[in-house]
Amino acid sequence: MSELLMPIRAVFEAVANSENSIALRESQYVWSLFEVAHVISMCLFAGLIIMMDLRLLGIGNMQTPFSQLQKRLFPWQMLGMALSAITGLVLVYGDPMRFYSNIFFWMKMSLMVIAAVNALAFHYIAYFDVDNWDNKVPPFGAKLSGVLGLGLWAFVIVSGRLIPYNWFQNQ
Amino acid sequence: MLQPYFQAMNDSSIAKFISESLWVYPLDQAIHLVFLALFAGAILILDIRLLGFGMREQSVAKVARDSWPWLVVGFLGLVATGIPQLIQNAMREYYSEFFWIKMYVLPVALIYTVTVRRMVSQAEDGRVSPMVQKVVGLVSILLWIGGVAVPSRLIGLFT
Repeated sequence: MSELLMPIRAVFEAVANSENSIALRESQYVWSLFEVAHVISMCLFAGLIIMMDLRLLGIGNMQTPFSQLQKRLFPWQMLGMALSAITGLVLVYGDPMRFYSNIFFWMKMSLMVIAAVNALAFHYIAYFDVDNWDNKVPPFGAKLSGVLGLGLWAFVIVSGRLIPYNWFQNQ
Repeated sequence: MLQPYFQAMNDSSIAKFISESLWVYPLDQAIHLVFLALFAGAILILDIRLLGFGMREQSVAKVARDSWPWLVVGFLGLVATGIPQLIQNAMREYYSEFFWIKMYVLPVALIYTVTVRRMVSQAEDGRVSPMVQKVVGLVSILLWIGGVAVPSRLIGLFT
């Protein structure tokens, strides 16, 4: 297993040895700035995703038709995602080996992939008959997508916050 | 003036319990962040609308009414998960400037949200000018993000 990961490890190591990565790692203020920016970006991204998922579950924002809410929040969710991704990438770039050897980091990455699959599945499977439930409580499929979205993003946030606690590191 | 109280929290059996457990404190921090996302979502969905973006086809009053219960849930969750962190870290927080910035801005933001922002956003259509709505939304973002969220993150980074 660890041999399969060697190419990934090589990339992380190469980044870790680059000048810019070392500079970022050793600059307390720039690093902290990105930590703060990452949390604020998360507020925009996850916050508006949660608002949409609550609407999908039929327990929030019910006075707005789902398609309207989705269309109007989407650009802001994407802005939040872009900012989270950029600030997150900078943080990994600045200290790659810390993340490489961290179980919570890989948990977070895996959960994000599953959350993305859930979003795509919703878009192509449950969203097609939105006209039938746009003003109502959504049907089971859409609700399922909403509850999965809430749960997955919550665990993404939790595993992200646990990264500094490296209980399982053995190297 | 408050130092004895912070010292008492610091030395309390609750603080001892939290610091003796490997999981309680980290999970409390993590759940605090999940409630932050909920709270921020409920705040931003309305502030973005007040600024004239986002859900523009919907009235401000309806966005305000719909988001209110989740704002309350988010806030209560933040308080419930924030207090154990304060107890566990009482003396560190006491000597952190960012903690006190947060504690001074938080009541201002809270009062602003339940008075000015609530009244302006629940007014009937056309009774408040778009300019006033924009200012109210912008002030809300500045207070909650700039005055509360950013200093909160800085407590842990600079102490």
